[in-house]
Parts: sequence; C-alpha cells; structure tokens
Amino acid sequence: MRKLLDNPYRWLGLSLCVAGAVFSPLAFFIIASMPLTAVGLSAIMLGFVCVALANARPYISPEACRLMLKTGMENTSALLEELNLRNKAVYLPSLMREGRPQALIPLSDDADLKQIRQKLPGRLLVRYGANPDDMAVAVTTAGSINIDLLENSPEPTSEGIEGAVNYILTGVLDIASAAKIISRDGLIRAEITGARLPYENVWYQRCLGSPIASIVAAVSSEALAKPVRIKEESQAKDKISVVIEVLE
Amino acid sequence: MRIYNRFILTLTLAAGFINVLLAFLGQQDIQIYFIINIIAYMVITLLYVYFNPRARRALDGVSVVFFGAFLVIVAIKVMDIISGR
Repeated sequence: MRKLLDNPYRWLGLSLCVAGAVFSPLAFFIIASMPLTAVGLSAIMLGFVCVALANARPYISPEACRLMLKTGMENTSALLEELNLRNKAVYLPSLMREGRPQALIPLSDDADLKQIRQKLPGRLLVRYGANPDDMAVAVTTAGSINIDLLENSPEPTSEGIEGAVNYILTGVLDIASAAKIISRDGLIRAEITGARLPYENVWYQRCLGSPIASIVAAVSSEALAKPVRIKEESQAKDKISVVIEVLE
Repeated sequence: MRIYNRFILTLTLAAGFINVLLAFLGQQDIQIYFIINIIAYMVITLLYVYFNPRARRALDGVSVVFFGAFLVIVAIKVMDIISGR
C-alpha cells in the first residue's frame, strides 16, 4: 500500500477519483446541480490521467541515473586528463561511425577535422586523415546514446532538429522545459530553458560540452548527416545557450 | 515546470473554464458537459507531442476509455432522436 502511494501522481489521481466519485452523485441527486456534477466528473477524468502518468514514470530513480552519468563522465574525464586533451570534440553522425553517433577528440591542436569524409572504424583511437598526427579519441557521449530514443531520424531543418531535441529533453528525459533552435550560416543556435543539468566548467565539459549541449550537438549532427562542433556554451540561471558549428 | 505537471495544469484549467462557461450559459444537460470535457482532453493530449512513448501509451489507453464513453453518449442521443423522444 505504501509503495502504491509513493508516487505523487498516483496519490493525486486516486484522491481526485475518490473525491469525484463521492461528490458527483451528491451534486446530481441531492444538490441537483449539473455544473457541480460536471466538476465531479472532471475530477474523475483528471484522476484517471494522473494515475496513467504515474505508471509512465521511469523505473530507475533520478539519483541512480545521476550516479551512472557521473561515473561515465568521470571515467572519460580521467582519460582526457591523462592524454592532456583540451580540444573541442567533433560530433559525428552514425553513418560516419559504425551505427552509433560518437564524438571525436583530436590529439593534435591544429587538427583539421573538415577533411573527414569516409566512415571511421569503431575503435577508441582512430585515424581520420592521411598524416601520422591525424589521430583522435572517439568516445560515446550522453547525446550519442539518446539518438536511439528517437523513433525516426530528425529532418535536416531547424524545425526537425527542434522537434527531436524537445522530444528528448522535455518528453523523454525531462531535464529541460523547452528548446528553441535557429539554424543559419553554418551555425546552429540553441536556447534551452528550464535546464536542470547545469553546465560545469570541468575538463570533460570543456571538451565535450554539458550533457544538454551534447544532446543538441548529436541530434544536429544526425539530422544534417555532417560533423558538428560545440563552439560556445553559456548558462544564465536555468537557460543554456549553445552555438554549434557545422563542419561542411 | 515539468511536462507532466504542465499537462495536468492545462487540463485542470481547461476543465474549469469549460464548466464555468457552460454553467454561465445555463446548460443543464450533464452529457454536454461530459462530451465537451472529453473533446478538450483529446485536443490537449494531441497538442502535447513531446511525451515519452510510455506516457503516450498510457494516455492513449485513457483516451480509448473516454472515447468509448463519448460514443455511448452519442449513440444514446442518436437513438433518442430516431425514436422521437
């Protein structure tokens, strides 16, 4: 019983259903008021919706998800620190990797990743050019994994990217309230409001961006089928602004 | 505000507005209140396109129940009209 009522939506839903079921007959037969009976029926309907939403909540607690995210980030961060990598990552679409989009962090500072045209092997260390220095570390990011959650590949337009980003951030992960995307002159500007995973100025996020920026970059890369790079990222209160450069 | 909370709040405001408006217009048929509330629920649910697949499936189940009730009321009304009551 305690477990049944642990979820606030279920608690609210059952309360509304019981209150509506008691109030409606009273309003209909005793008070003889149709508007009050309608209020009782509306309460029952809302109760059904709340109970349905309670059953749709994730199985894993947010604390467990945070733990797993932090573990993955710290492991990748340790690898980047050990290799002394400070370059911004390039997000590649799935067609350039083996089935899953990934981020590439070049080992050299003067890397020209615009030359990547062919599919790269699915390894941790990959060669992307003809020169011996054209090496990079390929890592899976939060954005890479979340592409699997999309039912269809996003359309290569601002609206298509915005729809896919909103679906992941607000609908599936529930880590932001809304996302607005504007694509112009080879740059994609994203404004995420109500962000609940802040940008932190740590090694990992300086290279790969915050988890939210990483999702926007991975979706943009997948939609356009081109490599992209997070050019800028800033946060003011709960609003994150991300500028993504499309590498033509 | 999270998407579930926003959705529940939108439904509550819509139901409140519809009930107050119909009461103000002097509507005394409970079936009319019920049908308009169901239509409002379906429209608002369709507008929330970013729900995750599990929530969408759960709400689709609720929609089926409400739509069934809606059809029953419409069928009763049609039978009343046909029988001339």
